[in-house]
Amino acid sequence: MHIQLTINKKLYDLQLKGHETLLEVLRDQLSLTGTKSACQESECGTCTVIINGKAVLSCISLAANLDGAEIRTIEGLADGDVLHPVQKAFVEQGSVQCGFCIPGMIMSATALLEKNPTPTQTEVEYALDGNICRCAGYPKIFDAVHAAGKEMKEQQG
Amino acid sequence: MLLNPLTLHSPKTVSEAAKLYKELEDVKVLAGGTFLLNSLKLLKTKGTKTSKNILSLAQVDELKGMRADAHGLTIKAMTSITEIFESPLLVDNFQIIRTVCRNISTTPIRNMASFGGNLTCRYTWTEMPVVMIALNATMYFMSPQGAVSQISAEDFFKNNARSEHLFTHVVIPRETQARLVYRRVRKMSEVDQPLLTLCVKTTLPEKQWTKTRIVINTGSAFAQRDYQLEEFLNGKDLSSTLGQEALDHLTTTIYDTRSNEYKQHMFRVCLRQAIEGICTSN
Repeated sequence: MHIQLTINKKLYDLQLKGHETLLEVLRDQLSLTGTKSACQESECGTCTVIINGKAVLSCISLAANLDGAEIRTIEGLADGDVLHPVQKAFVEQGSVQCGFCIPGMIMSATALLEKNPTPTQTEVEYALDGNICRCAGYPKIFDAVHAAGKEMKEQQG
Repeated sequence: MLLNPLTLHSPKTVSEAAKLYKELEDVKVLAGGTFLLNSLKLLKTKGTKTSKNILSLAQVDELKGMRADAHGLTIKAMTSITEIFESPLLVDNFQIIRTVCRNISTTPIRNMASFGGNLTCRYTWTEMPVVMIALNATMYFMSPQGAVSQISAEDFFKNNARSEHLFTHVVIPRETQARLVYRRVRKMSEVDQPLLTLCVKTTLPEKQWTKTRIVINTGSAFAQRDYQLEEFLNGKDLSSTLGQEALDHLTTTIYDTRSNEYKQHMFRVCLRQAIEGICTSN
């Protein structure tokens, strides 16, 4: 099937097979390996990307089913060498331990904060409930989300 | 490769989708995909043959959205759980749907999963059936010839949730005086499945239980009403002891079906709390 996807603001014309998941296309065809592959059954959240403004799981998304979609992956957040506020906050708050879950965490946090830069702790936990950190580093991850939200709100003026 | 080769069909209209659903051999409908794709992956890992045709409803805009009027609320099949959760239309008796949505799985799943998929996927443990039966919802389907048919949610699940036609939407009657309680006990395992769900609905004219519906889902069989318990509750006054008294009037065979002792106990706790909650919050 021939489809068009906009990934990180770049338009891709792709010839895909019906069974290819977005996760496979991102990692294996487009070399966008920042999106991680772990459980592959929608439990862990490491493969989270943003599609049309919402955090979704690329391991259970058929790529050919997304014709016309606007997709953002972790590679699309930074502006050159300037980190996105969420990435910057994760670094500054020391939120990264082994790091494997972090791309998914950051994508879920970004989807939340773009809609609501001042979430309550409950709202942060709700938005990140699909992302599992086996290092159990949740407190610093939550701190980073709040800090990033603060910066994003200031940037918005 | 996570999935076996398949052919993806992406109709643009409901009538085209309904026709393809009838015409294609060995076909599965892809709504949000949160059940289907994991199921296909699991079957592949077991070496089991999987469906070769997948009928995606993602491009069918007619199947997306909600609307409300004085009579009721319409929810279309491809509306996502998040869209329903965030909808300002969930007022009056429809507010209970927000509680149901809030407790379904995780944020990315709620963003992807569809109302229609949750209601009609034929997994027995999903969340929407109990509340749709409690709210006396009517389900609408389209035949391959374009004819529209309807059935009450209760009858749909009595019929083992089977239909050869394509589910399009539900219409839920508006009731301004209804009181509803929803309970979901989460079973934490590899997949977030509810251990049980139940919904209690009643109206309280003259502070007496009236038009009560008790709908339970054991996760083993499809959602169903406990008529014996409803009969006991109707006409009763509000009382702080009613929840405990009600437990002597359960249709025990419903709860016993493939339920262990722990699960039966959880049903009793949840039902008692739900009934007490309605009695004490009025």
